[in-house]
Amino acid sequence: MIEVDGLTVRYGGVTSLDAMSLTFEQGTCGLIGPNGAGKTTFFNVLSGFVRPAAGSVQAFGVDLLSMAHYRRARWGVRRTFQTEQAIEELSVFDNVAMVHEHSRLSGASRRADVLDALAFTGLGADPEAKVRTLGAGQRRLVEVARAVVGRPRLVLLDEPAAGLPDEETRHLAEVIRRIPEHTGALAVLVDHDMSLVSACCATTAVLDFGKLIASGPTAAVLRDDAVIRAYLGVA
Amino acid sequence: MPPWANFEPFIVSGLALGGVYALSGVGLVVLYRATGVLYLAFGAIGALGALIAWSLTTRAGAPGWAGWLACVAVAGAVTLGYGLLFGPALAKRDPLIKAVATIGLTLILYGVMDLLWTTSGGQARSLTLPTDNGGFTVAQIQVTWTQVIALAAGVVLTVGTGAFLRFTKLGTAMRAMANDRDITATLGVPVRRVEAAAWLGCGILGGVAGLLLADLVALDATTLTFLVISSLAAVLIARLRSITVTFVAAIVIGLLHDLLTPIASLTSYRDMTPFVIAAIGLLVLSRHQVMTQSREEA
Amino acid sequence: MSGTVRATLERASPARIARRPTRPQLIRASVTTVLLLFAFFALPELLSLYYIDTMTQVAVYSMVTLALGLLVGRVGLFSLGQAAVLAIGAWAAARLLFATTQPYPLVLLEAGLITMVAGLLIGLPALRLRGLYLALITLMLAGGITVVLATVNFPNGGHGFLGYNGSLLHIPPIRRPSIAASDPAYYRFSVIIAIVMFALVLAHIKTKPGRAWAAIRQSEAAALAAGINIWFYKLWAFALASFITGVAGGVLAGAIHYLYSINFPTQDSITLLAVTLMGGVFSLWGAVVAGILYQFLPALLNNWGVSADWLIILFGLGVLQVLTTAPAGLADQVPRDLRRLGHLLGTLIRRFRRGPGGDGA
Repeated sequence: MIEVDGLTVRYGGVTSLDAMSLTFEQGTCGLIGPNGAGKTTFFNVLSGFVRPAAGSVQAFGVDLLSMAHYRRARWGVRRTFQTEQAIEELSVFDNVAMVHEHSRLSGASRRADVLDALAFTGLGADPEAKVRTLGAGQRRLVEVARAVVGRPRLVLLDEPAAGLPDEETRHLAEVIRRIPEHTGALAVLVDHDMSLVSACCATTAVLDFGKLIASGPTAAVLRDDAVIRAYLGVA
Repeated sequence: MPPWANFEPFIVSGLALGGVYALSGVGLVVLYRATGVLYLAFGAIGALGALIAWSLTTRAGAPGWAGWLACVAVAGAVTLGYGLLFGPALAKRDPLIKAVATIGLTLILYGVMDLLWTTSGGQARSLTLPTDNGGFTVAQIQVTWTQVIALAAGVVLTVGTGAFLRFTKLGTAMRAMANDRDITATLGVPVRRVEAAAWLGCGILGGVAGLLLADLVALDATTLTFLVISSLAAVLIARLRSITVTFVAAIVIGLLHDLLTPIASLTSYRDMTPFVIAAIGLLVLSRHQVMTQSREEA
Repeated sequence: MSGTVRATLERASPARIARRPTRPQLIRASVTTVLLLFAFFALPELLSLYYIDTMTQVAVYSMVTLALGLLVGRVGLFSLGQAAVLAIGAWAAARLLFATTQPYPLVLLEAGLITMVAGLLIGLPALRLRGLYLALITLMLAGGITVVLATVNFPNGGHGFLGYNGSLLHIPPIRRPSIAASDPAYYRFSVIIAIVMFALVLAHIKTKPGRAWAAIRQSEAAALAAGINIWFYKLWAFALASFITGVAGGVLAGAIHYLYSINFPTQDSITLLAVTLMGGVFSLWGAVVAGILYQFLPALLNNWGVSADWLIILFGLGVLQVLTTAPAGLADQVPRDLRRLGHLLGTLIRRFRRGPGGDGA
């Protein structure tokens, strides 16, 4: 369980997150909202790239914000980015092994853990292939494998389906939906594709202008008037 | 510690030197803000211009003003040429890459200068300006007109550029481009022309600085090319942003450098002044955050 | 689904240790071995003393460009002051060589470590800066070091910490290893040291730090998200590069016997960066190419009576070319071009064999 309390982020006169308080329960949770609502900023706070002006984050009983950013990955915060960030000149295997290498996990189990993560994502490519030879959809799967290898506790997925064709998006949805049951981690999915969010997330929260405007079971949230107004604007 | 009177002439020379550093620094900052390029070849084009002026006046017998005109014109032309040729190709790259590219230009100019004005003959060249001869005395300190011009140029340029950037159309366009080139373009600002103006202006300043430094310091390709580092120090302390801070830092660097001359124990280290000041300044400025020069994050 | 995919993956990727090297890798390894053997055994027999000295310099500066390439190519740190670091290494080696009777390789190790410590002292505060600022502070620090060295001078057999005696009439030369005193022998010695340095870098690249550097170079955000302590790995690269440059300085000291500040002018740092970029910062061969550009070509031109300034101009053009078009440099470009040429020739030969009548014998 992740408890966010009064999280506020200010940057150059703009308040990206405004006293956001939210609790993420088990499973895969969605986080949606119009562009600029603060979703990526929220992920940046969790990853440690941005320091909030106020507020706290308790993740599985641990004060996340007091941890140095590079330590959070070791602890179990994993993340994918809006623009894919698989390391091109390394192989698929090395990309995923890298996360394992820098956690406190034993080297003996590394090969097995990496292959396990790759199998979980259904990435059929040769693990020794360099990532630069792969297509966009496959690179996304490498990133997802990176996010689930070892013992993740919090998996942050930032628009993982962006730019992917329907077929690959469906496959990705299947994989994302099973992350909590396979790894025991809590997953948070940010995306604009509502069908993806509906397919994967039992609960969803909605941000607008840095404020939380709705949260609860996904189906209900997507029908909420306030949410629809936020996306389409007031008539 | 030597008596105060020993320091007096160095206050004047230091201020003059600082004035030229300020002149150079302001030119560098404005160009950086308009194009994202830190023009490391600034010293080299000044050296080239000064050497051309020297050749015209001492070899070809041309009048002084023709030499100075040629100096400024060549410096401006080379800089503008570089900007037009390589600006677009590197426009989207990191400022670090753009600056390293100007190192390429520096090497080309350096090679050309050593070929055409070789120093292996052992003869030293010198450039004198007519203003070296006249002057006045202030509180028993000799001041030449050249030194006055050097300091005045620094002051005038700093103030003038500040006003230019704030009050003129071209200046405002440059400030807008410093913020975001692409958005400025969509506003209808002729970015290519504004950039060209910035390049040309910077080049002209380089020529002027080259002439003054050739007179005040030495007419030597190596010395003049790398003297830009002193201006760089000032520009770094100003975080490539404020021309006022650049001016102040430049004056301090010039003054401190020359004031160390009469102190026997420190005099051989005085050339370290810009480096030490820049290093300390940067480290102090960066103590709270990781510093990056990316224009989006600046 | 997971089970069969996992099994497929296992078959495709047998235990990495037992994995057979691919054909291009074998070819590369063989070519490298042949060239190294040639350079070590045959070259000194074929060249005049003038060129043997030059090749020693090539070995020295290949190590410097190796270090610089490591910083630029693997970590994105453009050091504008590598000549100053080389000077520190040379100074330390000279001081130790005059003050002690330790064997030369030990002195090299110590000089490398001293330079590494200096590099760390600089790196610790400097790595808070990024990109352009980091490059400029290396320029500033190098400038400072150059001024200090010009004032304290290089050791020349005198006493005291600085080991410099300004009034010495007869300055002793810096010694060489007893088994490698002659120029051809010292050349071979420098080749061995260079091979060791290259092997050291290779060992880093293929293992954990190399992977971390690759991640950092492409995306610091992704590296952080993978748990990589970026500052630590950048410092490591800095330390390694300083160590290697320091060792190179030590080899240089024995090569030229007498050290003066004019051996390490400011423009050297800039020219070194230029040739490193031209040679290619992503491959180890690039460092060798850079060393050849930096020392062999000027010696060649000198011999033919052509001014080395033309090379400076060429290097300037090279920088511009590399940055605008070919970021991987010559070491990557040339093999690629050769391969393309090879394919073209292959196609032409096949078409020729087929003859004007179309397919068939």
